[in-house]
Amino acid sequence: MSGVVDVSRRVPDRLTFLQRIYLPEIFRGMAVTLRHLVLNLLDRRRMPTIQYPEQKRNYSKRFRGKHILKAREDGTLKCVACYMCQQACPAECITIVAGEHPKIAYEKYPVVFDIDMMRCVFCGFCVDACPKDAIWMTRNYEMAFFSREDAVFSIERLRESKEEVATHGYGYRPYYPGDGTTPPSDASLLPVVSGSGERDTLRREGVVLPERSAGAGPLNAPSQAAKAFPA
Amino acid sequence: MTVAAEPALSAPAERLRERLASAPGGLRAEVADRDLPTIEVAPEAWPALARYLRDDPGCRYDLFLDLCGVDNLKRPGQKTRFEAVVHLHSLSRNEHVRVRVPLPNSDKPSLPSVSDVYPAANWFEREAYDLYGFDFPGHPNLHRLLCHDAFVGHPLRKDYAPGQRWFFAEEDLRMPAWSKDTDVRAGHFETQTISIGPSHPATHGIIHLVARLDGERIVRAETMIGYLHRCFEKMAEKHHWNQIIPYTDRLNYVSAMINGVGYVRTVEKMLGVEVPERGRLVRTILSEFTRIMDHCVCIGANLVDIGALTSFVYLYQNRENVYDLLEACCGARLTVSYVRVGGLAVDVPDDFVARCRGLLESIPKLLDDVEKLVNNNRVVRSRLSGTGVVTKEQAVAWGMTGPMLRASGVPYDVRQARPYDFYDRFDWDVAMARDGDNFARYLVRLEEMRQSLKIIRQALEILPAKGPVNSDDWRVVLPPKDAVYHDMESLIYHFKLVMEGVRAPAGERYEWIEGANGELGYYAVSDGRGGPYRLKVRPPCFPNMAAFEHMVVGGTVSDAIATLGTLNIIAGELDR
Repeated sequence: MSGVVDVSRRVPDRLTFLQRIYLPEIFRGMAVTLRHLVLNLLDRRRMPTIQYPEQKRNYSKRFRGKHILKAREDGTLKCVACYMCQQACPAECITIVAGEHPKIAYEKYPVVFDIDMMRCVFCGFCVDACPKDAIWMTRNYEMAFFSREDAVFSIERLRESKEEVATHGYGYRPYYPGDGTTPPSDASLLPVVSGSGERDTLRREGVVLPERSAGAGPLNAPSQAAKAFPA
Repeated sequence: MTVAAEPALSAPAERLRERLASAPGGLRAEVADRDLPTIEVAPEAWPALARYLRDDPGCRYDLFLDLCGVDNLKRPGQKTRFEAVVHLHSLSRNEHVRVRVPLPNSDKPSLPSVSDVYPAANWFEREAYDLYGFDFPGHPNLHRLLCHDAFVGHPLRKDYAPGQRWFFAEEDLRMPAWSKDTDVRAGHFETQTISIGPSHPATHGIIHLVARLDGERIVRAETMIGYLHRCFEKMAEKHHWNQIIPYTDRLNYVSAMINGVGYVRTVEKMLGVEVPERGRLVRTILSEFTRIMDHCVCIGANLVDIGALTSFVYLYQNRENVYDLLEACCGARLTVSYVRVGGLAVDVPDDFVARCRGLLESIPKLLDDVEKLVNNNRVVRSRLSGTGVVTKEQAVAWGMTGPMLRASGVPYDVRQARPYDFYDRFDWDVAMARDGDNFARYLVRLEEMRQSLKIIRQALEILPAKGPVNSDDWRVVLPPKDAVYHDMESLIYHFKLVMEGVRAPAGERYEWIEGANGELGYYAVSDGRGGPYRLKVRPPCFPNMAAFEHMVVGGTVSDAIATLGTLNIIAGELDR
């Protein structure tokens, strides 16, 4: 099957007279470069180079560029400030400060969500870690800044904007169209549990919220649980 | 732990114990069975053991792979606080062995240097001195290697507080003592000392070569590295197993994929996780493409250094095309971060096979063009043939692996010596040459690229069209997003994995694969937490670079530049 191939003598040890007098070899070499030149001129699509910035490279839909924070239908951020992306980040570039959202259905929200783009290594671990489909990446790779302060992107610059998505498009994300993933339900579209849905109102009214039902998904098999949490 | 308490030894370990027991003069060493046969020896007996392991016909551990320190301060239950761990390989018997040297407790633990037995140990001992403060009596040049000369303390000790900053000024730079001497030879002008680098176009990264010149010939040289040291190993101790993957991309950034694969294989072996066939094949295919890319960069840059620019452009075109494939798979070109413990970040795109086949078409054409330009070019031949010669014995003594070793006539390739993934199912050959000069290394790399294409072609044949790429062990791999969004149980697994990390059982493991530059080994010690207790990389270009200062002596400065190119030094991996 597999063996060893000795390449020592694949190329003749001594050059021939014609090779030693340079000229024939120079012409042979020029034939190669000329072929490349002519073919590239005849068909510009073959050109390996592009004229950046006038012309831009077309990246795949998985490109890991600038992050965006996804928003619900009512414009609030999907992020519930659970700190999982901050914990997953190998570069420790995410800073979150959580606040209690007045609307009970939203639970928590990020008062501060900063990404230090100077530290970020664009590995996409935050996207993988998010359980709420709240952080995606775009194909935007043009983020030059003039100061270190400018490099820290806050919610204003991270919030998804129509223009940014239209210009650059989505990049790396937790799921792609057609892979069978149903996005999590949008809390802003859920029926309000009681009254106005405001936390303070509910507290005043003494409402007891219904228990959430336990999931019955594919991973609930006892064998899997035993593996994860051995006694 | 005593040997008596161990269960019966495996055959290699048992044989090794018999061998050691029969040593003349008696070697007091204990043999245990870990993932590798492990010899434990006291520091005083270590040089004698090293000599015996190298010379005894029944051992012949001739290739010195790695020496690293471990600090057990926060890992109770160990004999001593510090230990040195050595990995050796026997080329004739194709076996690895580990030697553990527990060091008596002291602030400056010491063990005798073995750099006279294994020349390759020289730099590894300097590294252990630098990072752990081990003393190596008998070492010819025991100075800091990775940290700068104004550094205080030993950063990999567990009681060293990370985050300290040590200011380095130009006057702190330690120049070799001999560089200051004047050396006037009778009847000849005096020799002079020059610095090549640290920042020099031909040094590919930041490498400092101090050379004493007699006319244009180098009579003495010393390499100084560490300019790109980013404390990878210290960082690894502070992160979860999976979080280290982006860091491995930045070791050998020219073949990031292979680094990642080597790393996650180590963790998977510790965990006992099996990756599905499709996942492993995708890893193999992309690793081989990465190897081609790495060789393209090496040959291309080497040719630029000696003045041939055209071939560089054609070779980089291949690299760009491979980057396109990687970017389609994982979203990044250079720092791919594509692998995960237990599989891959995402499945490959639908057009993966078509893209690979396209590359299989385009790469050989450009390689042919390069061969036409280079092979019989008189200038290239006179620059590369007969320069930077490394004999077979030297290559082994200096601990070289990969194309360097193979170009010197030793056909050692991990993919064939210890086939992992599917390499034993493919029909391919290990490329080797006998001359050991720069041109032989060029030829070996060229042939390896063609062999890699052959491997990829066969891997695509057996790649299942559909199927999982990830293990379904949710203790290790993040559950599918659909389940995380809608199922509480999956969310819990997801949460545990993200917040606490994969929990590798306590123990140690050395796993090695064939990197683009040679044997890429990861030695991981786990104490059962979510991240490594100690992670040591065996960077393949480190021993190569250690030999550089010996290889250039006697040649001209321009030969040194050509030789540095074929060593394929990647500073990210060298300095970590």
